[in-house]
Amino acid sequence: MKPSRRTDPYWMLLPTLLFLFVFFLFPLGMLIKQSFFSWDLLTDARYVGLANYRALLRSGELLHTFTTTFSMSAAVVLGSMAAGLALALLLDRPGRFAAFLRGAVFSAYVVSWVSVALLFLWLLDADSGIFSGLWRAVCGSRAPNWLGDPALAPWAVAGVSVWKITGYALVLFLSGLQDVPSSVLEAAELDGASPSARFRNVTWPLLRPTTLFVATTSLIASFQLFDVVRVMTQGGPVRSTTVFVYAVYEQLFLDLRVGRASAEAVVFFAILLLLTGAQFVLFRSQETEAA
Amino acid sequence: MIPRREFLRASALAAAGLVGACATDAVPEGRTPVSLWFSYGGTNREVLEGLVRRFNARQSRDYVQAVYQGDYFEGLAKLRTAIAAGCAPTLSHVLGEVVPYLANANVLEPLGDYPGVRELDLIPELGQERSWLSGGARPLVALPFNRSTPIAYLNGDLFAQTGLRAPRDWAELRSVAERLSVPRTRFGFGCPINWWFWVALVGQAGGTVVAADGRVSLGDEAGVLALSLWQELVRDGFMKPPPGRDYNAWEQCNQDFLSGRAAMIWSSTAFLKYLEAHARFRVVAAPLPAGRKRAVPTGGTFWIVLRGAASEQKAAAVRFLRFMNEPEQVIEWSTRTGYIPVTRAAVKELERRGYYADHPNDAVALEQLSVAEPWPWSVDLFRLQREIVQPRLESAVLEGRDARDVLREARALALEPT
Amino acid sequence: MMRRAVLALVALIWLFPYLWMGLTSLKPLDEIIHSPTALLPLHPSFDAYRDVFRTLPLARYFLNTSVMALSIAALQIALALPAGYALAKLRFRGKRLAFALIVATLLVPAQVRFVPVFLMLARAHLVNTLSGLILPFGVSALGTFLVRQALLNVPDSQIEAARIDGASELYIVYRLMAPLLTPTLVSLFLFSFISHWNDYFWPLVLTTDEHARTLPLAIALLREQGSGVRWHIVMAGNVILSLPALAVFAAAQRHLLRAVTERGFGG
Repeated sequence: MKPSRRTDPYWMLLPTLLFLFVFFLFPLGMLIKQSFFSWDLLTDARYVGLANYRALLRSGELLHTFTTTFSMSAAVVLGSMAAGLALALLLDRPGRFAAFLRGAVFSAYVVSWVSVALLFLWLLDADSGIFSGLWRAVCGSRAPNWLGDPALAPWAVAGVSVWKITGYALVLFLSGLQDVPSSVLEAAELDGASPSARFRNVTWPLLRPTTLFVATTSLIASFQLFDVVRVMTQGGPVRSTTVFVYAVYEQLFLDLRVGRASAEAVVFFAILLLLTGAQFVLFRSQETEAA
Repeated sequence: MIPRREFLRASALAAAGLVGACATDAVPEGRTPVSLWFSYGGTNREVLEGLVRRFNARQSRDYVQAVYQGDYFEGLAKLRTAIAAGCAPTLSHVLGEVVPYLANANVLEPLGDYPGVRELDLIPELGQERSWLSGGARPLVALPFNRSTPIAYLNGDLFAQTGLRAPRDWAELRSVAERLSVPRTRFGFGCPINWWFWVALVGQAGGTVVAADGRVSLGDEAGVLALSLWQELVRDGFMKPPPGRDYNAWEQCNQDFLSGRAAMIWSSTAFLKYLEAHARFRVVAAPLPAGRKRAVPTGGTFWIVLRGAASEQKAAAVRFLRFMNEPEQVIEWSTRTGYIPVTRAAVKELERRGYYADHPNDAVALEQLSVAEPWPWSVDLFRLQREIVQPRLESAVLEGRDARDVLREARALALEPT
Repeated sequence: MMRRAVLALVALIWLFPYLWMGLTSLKPLDEIIHSPTALLPLHPSFDAYRDVFRTLPLARYFLNTSVMALSIAALQIALALPAGYALAKLRFRGKRLAFALIVATLLVPAQVRFVPVFLMLARAHLVNTLSGLILPFGVSALGTFLVRQALLNVPDSQIEAARIDGASELYIVYRLMAPLLTPTLVSLFLFSFISHWNDYFWPLVLTTDEHARTLPLAIALLREQGSGVRWHIVMAGNVILSLPALAVFAAAQRHLLRAVTERGFGG
C-alpha cells in the first residue's frame, strides 16, 4: 500500500533502525577495530595489528575454547532433543497428570539460569550434595567430584543445561506431533505395524522440519551459554568449562584485555554467522523440498 | 490494551529516568559520603559492616557506604572497569599483588601527606614498607587491612592420638602426611593448589618468584622443587588436591578439614575463627615447615583510595582509615576474624590482656611475620599470577604435567609483551 | 505399568530439585554442615529467609528487575508495531535495505556486542543505571518480524477505510492494528519480560551496587566465598528468585507456550 504521507515509513522505522544501529551495528564495528589494539582500559591503547589473533591461535586458547564450547553444546543439544522427543511422545496424551508433567518440564525453561545453576551447585556438591549422597548409598564409595574433576565438570554442566532446556524441545516436538495426521497412524496400525515401526516410518519423517529447527536453534542458543558456567564453575576446573562467551568475559573483565577479548568475540561472531547461515540454507532447501 | 501499554511505557521510562546516573543514596544530611567496595562474605562481612556502622555512629562528619561486590577477583574486576567507566568508589581494598599495577596506572591516591597517616604505627612487615621490595621508597598508596600469612591447621585430636607433632620441615611434612593417611578414608594433608602456597614453598626452597635483576625466574630450581613436592604427595596418595577454582578450592579444603577427610591442611590465618567455630575437634594452628629455610608470603588486602574521587571524599576516606587503625577496631577485626592485627599498639594491648596466652593459635601467624618475604614491586605480578602461573600449577598437579616443562612454559610466556 | 514408572521418573527428575531447594532453605546451618543429605530438616526454621531479607535490599532489587524487564518489553512492543507495520503494509524506497539491516542484527548476539556497548555506556555515564540496562534491548528484531508476519494477514481494506475516515498512521498502528494482534503481542510481552527478568549477564557486566542491581545477580552473589557457603541461605534466596518466574508461568502458561512455538514457525 502507498503510505498516506511519503515520510511515514521512514519515521516509523527510524527509532528501530536507530536503536539497531547504535546497539548492534556500531558496536560490531567498534569490536572489530578494538581487536587490533592492546588496551587495558586504564592506560592508553596501543595498535598491535593481528597480534591478538595470533596470540589466541598460538596459545591454543582459541582451539581449546572452540572444542570445549562445541562439545558441550553438542551434548546439550543432543541430550535435550532426545529427552524432548521422548517426553513429547510420552506426554502427548490427554489427562491432568500428563499436562502437569508437561508444565513441570517446561517450567525449568522459564526460571532463570541463575536459579538452575545455584540449585544444581548445591545438588552436585561433592560432599554435601544429594547426588553424592545417593552415590554413597548405592555404590558405597566416595562420590566423584562432579564439578571439581576437569573430566566430569563439562558433562555435569551440560547435564544441568539439558535439564533446563528440554522443555523447549518438548514444546516444539509436541507442536510438531500435532501435524502428524492421526489417520495415517491409524492406517499403519491397522496394517499391523508395531509402535516402533509406526514411529520410524510415519512420525519421524514428518517430524523432520521440527527436528531440524529445534536442532539448529538449540545449537545456536547453547553456543551462547554463560550464566550457568559463571555461577557453577567460573570456567574451571582448569578451564575445562570455559566456553566462548565466558572466555570473552574473562578476558575483558578479569584480565582487562580489551583487544584480546574483542578478537575472541569477533571469532565467535564469525562462527555464529556460519551456523546461522547453515541454518538458513538448510531451511531453504527444506522449504523447496516441501514445495 | 493500548492505553495500558502506553501507560506502562510512559511510567517505565519515567521510572528509569528518575533513577538517574551513578549516584548513591541514603546519606544523612550534611555528611561527606564515602563509597566503599568490599569483597568479603560471611563473618568477615558482618564484622566489617559492624565497624562501618560504628564509624558512622561515632561522628557526624562523614558517612561510609559499604557495598559488597563478590569475591576478590569479581570485586577487582568491578573496580577496574568502574575506574575506566568513571564510576569508581572512593575506597576499596585489593590484593597486594595488584597494588603495583594500579599504582603504575596512576589511579591510586598517595596517602603520605594526609593528616595522621604517617603517625599510624603499622607493623612494618604488614605495611607497604616491607610488603614489597623497596616499598618504603615509593609514595605511600596502600594501607594494610586484612593481612595474613598461610598457616597449617592440624586436627588436634588426631595428632594427639597418634603422638605426632606439627612437621617442622618438608621431610617431616611427608612422613606426618603418610602416617595420617588412611586409604579411601582420610588424607594426611590437604592444600589448595594456589599461587600463594606455591610461593611459600618456593621461598622455603630458597628461591624467589622474581629475581633481583627483575627477571621472572619463578624460583628457577626452587620453583620446580616446590611444585614437585605437591605432585609427589598427591601421587603417593598423602595429599588431596581440592577441586574448584580460586576460593572455591580454599573452601573445599576447609570443608575437608572440618569433615575429617584431611588431617592437616594449609590455609590462611583468615579462616582461624571459622574453623575453630565449626570443627568438632580441637584445632591446632602451626607455622609452615621449613624447606631449606622458613619462609612465608604475606597475603590479604590493602586499603586503597581512588585518585578520581572528590577531595572531600578522599579526606573522609582517610579519616575512616585512621579510625579503622585505632587499637579498638584493629583488635575487634583481628580477634573476630583471625587476620593479623596491623598496628603495634594493638598487638601490645592484646599481649597485655593475655590474649595470646589464651589463644595460642592466633599467635602463629604473628610469629611467622619474622620470616615473611616481601613481594617484588612488579606491575605484571597480578597478570603473572592469574594468567600464567596459576593455571599451570593446576594442570601440573591436577593433570600430572611435568613440573619443569610447565614452569619453563610459564617463564617464556612471562617474557611476551601483553 | 512400565509407562507409570517412566512417568514417575520424569516427575522425580523435574520436580525433586525444586523440592530439595525448598527443604534445604528450611534447615538450620548446623544441619547443613553436619547432615546435608538428610531428607527432612530436624528443626525447620525460617532463619535463612530472615537472613536474606535482612542482608539484601530485596524490595529494591525486585523493583529494579521488574522496572527493567517491563520497560524493555514495553519498549520493544512500542517500537515493533510501527516498524512491523511499515514493513508489512507500506511501499517505500529502501524497504529492502531496512529489512536486511534488521535481519543482520539478528546475527549479533548480546555476548558479542557487550564489550563495545559497555564502553559506550560508560562514556555516556550510564553504567550502573537502569537506563543502561534497558536501552541495549529496546528493540527486538524478532519481535518486529513477528508483528510484520501477523500484520500481513490483516486485509488492506481495513486500513484504507480508516484512512478515508481521516485516521493518522499513528492512530492506525496503535489503536487499530494493535488490538488485532493481541495474542501475538501478549506472547511477545510475556516472553520478553521473563527472559529479561531472568537476565544475569548484562546486569553482571553493567551494575555495581544496589542502585541498579537486579535480583538474579543479587541472589547469585549469595554464593559467598571464603568462610563456608551457607547453603540454606543460598537456597532461600533461590526460592525467592524462582517464585516470580514460576508464578508468571503458572498464570500465563498458554501464552508462553505459544510464544515459543510462534517463534518457531512464525517465519
